[in-house]
Order: sequence, then structure tokens, then C-alpha cells
Amino acid sequence: MDTVLSSATPSATDVNSFLSAAEKEALKAATFQRLHPQIYLKRFLEEKIRPDGRSIADDENEDTHAWRNVEVNVGSITTASGSALVRLGNTTVVCGVKAEICEPELDNSDEGFLVPNVDLPALCSPKFKTGPPTEEAQVLSERLNEVLGNGMIPLSSLCIYPGKSAWVLYVDATVINYDGNVFDAALLAMVCALKNVSLPHAEFEPELNRTICTRPNSDPLKPARKLIIEEDLVPLSFSFGVFAGSYLLPDPTASEESLLDTTISIILNTRARILALSQLGTGVDKSEAPGQGVADISYTREADTLARCISLAKKRKAIIMKKVYDI
Amino acid sequence: MQSVFDRRRINGPEDSSAPIFADEHQKSPTPDLYKARHNRSVSDIRPIFLQPGLISQANGSAYIETERTKIACSVYGPRQSKNTAYNEKGRLNVEVKFTPFSCERRRAPLRDAEDRSIAVAIQQALLSSVRLEHFPKSTIDIFLVVIEADGIEGCVASGSIAASMALADAGIDMYGLVTSCTAAVIGEEIWIDPTQEECDMANGTLILSCMPALGIVTNVWQSGRMAISQVLACLDTCDGRCTDIHSVVAQALLNSARSKV
Repeated sequence: MDTVLSSATPSATDVNSFLSAAEKEALKAATFQRLHPQIYLKRFLEEKIRPDGRSIADDENEDTHAWRNVEVNVGSITTASGSALVRLGNTTVVCGVKAEICEPELDNSDEGFLVPNVDLPALCSPKFKTGPPTEEAQVLSERLNEVLGNGMIPLSSLCIYPGKSAWVLYVDATVINYDGNVFDAALLAMVCALKNVSLPHAEFEPELNRTICTRPNSDPLKPARKLIIEEDLVPLSFSFGVFAGSYLLPDPTASEESLLDTTISIILNTRARILALSQLGTGVDKSEAPGQGVADISYTREADTLARCISLAKKRKAIIMKKVYDI
Repeated sequence: MQSVFDRRRINGPEDSSAPIFADEHQKSPTPDLYKARHNRSVSDIRPIFLQPGLISQANGSAYIETERTKIACSVYGPRQSKNTAYNEKGRLNVEVKFTPFSCERRRAPLRDAEDRSIAVAIQQALLSSVRLEHFPKSTIDIFLVVIEADGIEGCVASGSIAASMALADAGIDMYGLVTSCTAAVIGEEIWIDPTQEECDMANGTLILSCMPALGIVTNVWQSGRMAISQVLACLDTCDGRCTDIHSVVAQALLNSARSKV
């Protein structure tokens, strides 16, 4: 037993002797990050770079390097009516839409339902445990419900027969890898999945009191259809964080997110009009900005953090639009 | 019907049902057996796509795709066992979750116990491969999310392969990699790696999990009606396929290890 234990738990010196010089340095950095996360991040930002290698969005350099790469893949899940996989840097979200048939509500007898939910399973981060939705998942679902429920899908277009039969679209997003800015990724996944949905032709038979659907491609007169989408109301979200009152970080990662004192989300439509805004915290504090002499004068010149975020979001929107519409 | 109104989720209407198609009842009860296989011979497995290390937040992870079956798996640990008595050996905890859109019918959250039985089967397949005596007082958590399912048997087999690969990716001591293969008895024939549709018309199915490198079986799960000779024949064919899968898994791990250096 003693020999087993000693070989299983080698002392610290043993571990170091296995490592190359580069690995030792990496281990030192990782230890430092664990013990002093604030100082760790600050030292990077003072060098105008972020821990994952992105540059800081300043006035000359507002382009793509401030954001993480985004990849969208739609329609790969055959059991869903529509689906999308979004990767935002390391953050990965899968979203599937299941269309089912239900009876409309009495007071909205010609409207269907749109039911968005986000799941943060224990798989995606050591932060989460198995069991019912965490507080964070509930807040995310609620925010997404508010944004998607703004009329992007006219609920009346989901009606099959007034008062009797309507479509309910269950939009479920599951986070596979939780590396920050899950809200933006989940919203993009939901929008792409909804765009991918194809509903079979459905007819309500009043005498039998049931709804019968036609399989896609079986009857040319009764084709499957795409959802009706109000393009002006399609939401795209762009989130920012403010660190230490002075650094504006677009698209924060998980390790940055836990250190932020302000979070800002700008939700734009496809024509760059603002649909929704949220700011929690004070934004960049002018008095604390590192403008005194050395580091960055551009921040002190910036009158309002929110205005700056909006202009950055609009630039980013053009790139996202390409990903969403060029598929 | 939803018995409890869950305020922690966004709720839709009280009751909804999957669409009913006009040609539902006419679906041919005896489909052409060979056509159903989509140009696959009875002893062929579906192509496997494997990728370790996709989930950056986890200690180890793997993603597996065998045609329609898609499973993501992550490993956390070994970490401290909380709220348990002292144990000389570590605990291996496996949890499986189906996404609501993973099956033909929508899987509303928390409504059935099927995921538990799959978790138990995967845990049994892995248990004897992990050197738990090296991890006293600790727990190794294995989480699987089924993104798309094509038959429960396929889920258990693909899940076991992904979980074993994720354990290797996490650097956890094992005796060997576990691979798994399924077989179904259809008529008089034995079909390897059956899909959902094929399992539905089978008399019986068998799942074999083993460590091909050591020639050791870790778990056998047989259900349905089979002659003893058929069981043995299934085991034999599955064993051969497991060896093939082992080389795929080992190659994928090797590639990922090389790309890290």
C-alpha cells in the first residue's frame, strides 16, 4: 500500500523534474493566475493585450482582433426541426428547435408559442452541478425570452386553426463549453436555429378535432415551410465588460468575466438599430482611467462608455451578419 | 401532462404533442431488411468521428459522432469527495443528460429515468478500467450530453468510448482504453452496430464493452430473446469490432497529444 501511494502522489520536486523549462514557466504562470487573478489580468492589459492573445480595442485598432472568432453550423441535428451549433472562441452552444402542436391560449386564440430555454449542464464548466437549472441558467433563459419574444417570429404566423390548433416552438440551447459571453453565443445559436426551422404542412380537421401534418416532400401541393421572420426584429447581441474601472473588454472570456465590475450588452437588429441595452455597473470611470501620463489617453477622451460600446458593436455586427446570412 | 409547473424554466402551453403525420399508420411494417442498412454490410460498424479535448473548461473531454449519434463528454477530477465517508478508493460518478431535441419525440427535462440506466451501463463499462485505488478520498466526475441519439444501445456504446477517451485525455490512470460495440439479432442474422430502426425490429440486442489491449471484458449487457449460440457469435463479432475501434481511439488520442506538443 505504501509503495502504491508514494508512486501515485509524487512530491513537488518529482513533478518539476519531469517538466521542461517551458512547462515550468507555464505552471508558474498558471499558479500566479490562480492566486492573484486581478493582478494577472492587469499585467496583461497594461501591455495592451489580453490573456488569450486578443488586442485591446482602442481607437486605431477597433477591428476584428478585439473579438473572438465565431463559427456557425446549421442543420446538423436531424431529430430537431431546426438546429445550430455556435462556437464563439472556446464557448460552444448547441441549439435545437422542436416544433409541437398545442391548443392556443383562450385570450390569444390565434397565436402560437415560442419557448426558449438555456441549459448549463455540469458538463460545460466546473462551476455547475447536476440538478435543476441554476440561478444563472434561469436568468439567461429569462433574458433570452425577453429578447426573442419581441416579435422576431410573429406568433400569429404559428397559428394553424384559430382557437383549436397552433405550433409551439421549443427552442432549447445547451452550453457544451462555458468560456464566457454565453448570452451572445446562445442568442446567436437560437436565431440561427430558428432560421433553419422547417415546419411540415399542417391542417386542422374540425370534424375529428385533430391536426394532421404532411411529410415534407411527399406532396408538392403541401410543402414544408420556413418560419416567417421579421428581419427588422432579428436580435444580435454584443457584450462588453469593464475591468478595474478602466479597461473595456469586448466579448469577455470565463476567466475575465468573474473579475468584471461592469457588464454591458448591446442588442442590435440586422440594420444596426438598437433593440435593447443593458448596463450593470458604472462603466469606464474617467477618474480611474490610466490616462495620467503613461498608458492610455484614448479612454479619458471617451465621454461615455455606452456610446463607445454601441459604435464597437455596430462594427462587429457587420462581421456577424456575414456568418449568419452566408450559410 | 406536466404535473408540476416548473417556475425555474420558461414554460410553454400546458400540453403539447408531437405532430401527427397523415402516413403514420401506413409505414411499412416489414421494411426491406437490406435496404435499411444503407449500403452497410451486416458486420460493418458506422464510421466514427472522435475528437478529444474540445471542452476547454474540463480536465479532459471527448466528442464522438457515429453518423447520427452525437455525444459530448467531459471529465472533472479527481476532485475532493464531499459529504461522503472516508474511502480508500476513489468514486467514479457518471451522469448522462439528453438534450430536449435529441430524440424523435421531445424529451422534456426530468421526465424519465432512461438517462440513469444508460449512466449505470457506462459506469459499469468503465469501472474496472480505472485505477481508483490511486485516488483515495476523491471523485472522478464523468458528464455526458447526448446531442442526438440514434438508439439507446448506440448511446451506451458511443458514450463508453467517449468517456474512456475523455479519461485518457484527463490523464487519469487506467489499465486500458475501453471500447464498446453493439449487436442485434434480426431474423437469423447478427447485425453489428444497429441503428434505432434496426433495434426496433430485433429479437435481442447485446452490448459488449472491453479493453482490447488486455483482452479483458468489462461489461456485457444482453437483452431480448437470443439463443446461446447467437449470444456467443455476437460476443465474438463485437470483440473483433472493439479491436478496430481501439485503434481509432488510440490514433485520435495520439494525434491530439502530438498537436499539443
